[in-house]
Amino acid sequence: MTAFVEYLLTGVSRGLVFSLLAMGFVLIYRVTRVVNFAQGAFAIFGGFITYSLLKAGIPHGVSELLAILAAGLIGLIFGIIAIGGDIPLLASLVITIGLSIFSEAIGMLIWGTTPITYSGLAGHDFVIFGAFIQRQYLIVVIASLVVFVAVLYGFGRTYFGKAMSACASNPYAARLSGINVKRMGLIAFTLGGALGGLAGVLITPLSPLTYNADISLGITGFAAAIVGGLTSPGLAVLGGLVFGIAEQFVAGYWSPSNETAVALALLIVLLLWQAKRVPAGGLE
Amino acid sequence: MRIRANRKISSYAVIAAGMITLALPLTLSSTNTEIYVTVGLYTIVVAGLSLLMGFAGQVSLGQAAFYGIGSYTAAIMALHGWSPLAALIAAPITTAFLAFLIGIPLLRLKGHALAFGTLAVQLIFLAVIPETASLTGGSIGLSAIPSLRIGPLAISSGRDYAYLVWIVVLVTLIIARNIVHSRPGRGLRAMAASVSGASATGVEVERYKLKDFTLSAAFAGIAGGIYAFFIGYVSPDAFPVVLSIEFVIMVVVGGMGTVTGALVGAALITVISQVLTTLGTSPSLPPQLPTVLSLGVYAVILVAILRLLPSGLVGAFSSLWKKAQAASPVSQFKADENVEAVSSVDKEEPNEFTLVDEV
Repeated sequence: MTAFVEYLLTGVSRGLVFSLLAMGFVLIYRVTRVVNFAQGAFAIFGGFITYSLLKAGIPHGVSELLAILAAGLIGLIFGIIAIGGDIPLLASLVITIGLSIFSEAIGMLIWGTTPITYSGLAGHDFVIFGAFIQRQYLIVVIASLVVFVAVLYGFGRTYFGKAMSACASNPYAARLSGINVKRMGLIAFTLGGALGGLAGVLITPLSPLTYNADISLGITGFAAAIVGGLTSPGLAVLGGLVFGIAEQFVAGYWSPSNETAVALALLIVLLLWQAKRVPAGGLE
Repeated sequence: MRIRANRKISSYAVIAAGMITLALPLTLSSTNTEIYVTVGLYTIVVAGLSLLMGFAGQVSLGQAAFYGIGSYTAAIMALHGWSPLAALIAAPITTAFLAFLIGIPLLRLKGHALAFGTLAVQLIFLAVIPETASLTGGSIGLSAIPSLRIGPLAISSGRDYAYLVWIVVLVTLIIARNIVHSRPGRGLRAMAASVSGASATGVEVERYKLKDFTLSAAFAGIAGGIYAFFIGYVSPDAFPVVLSIEFVIMVVVGGMGTVTGALVGAALITVISQVLTTLGTSPSLPPQLPTVLSLGVYAVILVAILRLLPSGLVGAFSSLWKKAQAASPVSQFKADENVEAVSSVDKEEPNEFTLVDEV
């Protein structure tokens, strides 16, 4: 029972981090129809910048906030490079692959190759059903829930959110009704960057990250986003939770080394299921 | 006549290139021979990937996994008492067979979904190797792979491998060229322009795509097999995700779907990476600098080419060449030759056909 609770709670909090990454994918895809391969890089920047700011003596809270803003700015820059001008969709995807390895180069240059971590919120662990739970988990849950509510409300209920979705479903009609499609795309990249940054800020205290962890974080986030067909933020959150919990159970009850392979196999199955559900989907 | 003249120029160019290829290994130092072999190996992989990207219009981020599967097949068989030649022949066959099996479900995906699906295949490959240590040597890898022997001919020095690799390069480029100009090739080209259009005119889209994918894996497999014998040691570190991305960059740089583009892309990126490694390696500099430099430069090249020259270097060069010729007085004098040009579309130069500018 103790082990079960521990796996479950660890899985939920890691899953929520994946959900944040997945939301970044969904946000950018919904508005621009571009799948941003560099989504994991935002998390790396978020975590690593927080680490550097904390080391420079800037207090908790401020460091995290600045790191998230910086990740948002990086998102904006990536957006300008990937979708600025007139460029085919798949070329944008390959450009984001380039941006992702560029980020790895920057990460390696500034922070080196050793794993980076910092202590999250001070304070001792608390106990549920005999399982020791780090206080950081609580922060992960609260922060991500606040963000999820904000994003779901923003997309579903506000004029601005609907305008953003309009850009993806019919860019021409959106332009006709006075929406600046390019600017909306850049805003989506900025928000996606900030969401990724938040994911990195939250997960770095839980598990040390190396400069090249962006690929594995990114692909898990993508897998979670695929659950909702890359367009549904709600299902993306669910997908993140499923992947987070499944990962912990496989690692705990079977073998930690099978965790990646299982997650990836699950991703391929999901992709195929999606391909079947949406025949000849948007891209040709 | 222009086309015939063009063909003459290009056959001279081919002969010249062949002579240089043959002469180079005799003059190169051992380090440079290694680079030369690497360029050859990458050209083989890139030629396959280029067919996939240029014709099926699909990005594979798992090509380094196929390269790795070829390497492991050759290494494991050679270490278990098979003749090196049999092991080398088995490498592309095993790789192609696996790609065929993976491709049946996976190629139902397209665009970003296929890119991530193939990336997942690559990551699964990297995750499986450490778990099957008894066969693959795990993360330590397999060493002491015997050197290659074809009948009485022992292939051991770098120079021997250089010749072997470039013979294989020639064969793969000829296969690629023939595919481009064959009936399936035309089907594939139609497919790159519009999948629904091609399938409406009777192109068996799914089957061609699967064949294309399988063939690109076979190319990667044979290159991987040679690599295993050449280096004499395989480990999962030799097949990182970045290598898959590098292959994509080489395709984009050279120009998708062009046979010569594979060669140009592979050569340019490999040489750049070597130059950066030489520049960045010095006791006074941080040890990770070469990697930082090459990742950074790859990224810049990739983004710059996609934004500025979407048809790649070879594509850009050949359209410049065409423009220059159109402007010359000789070609204006023979305006009626356009008729001939139209009637012999199939006999164009390998790098003259135009592909959609999209990825």
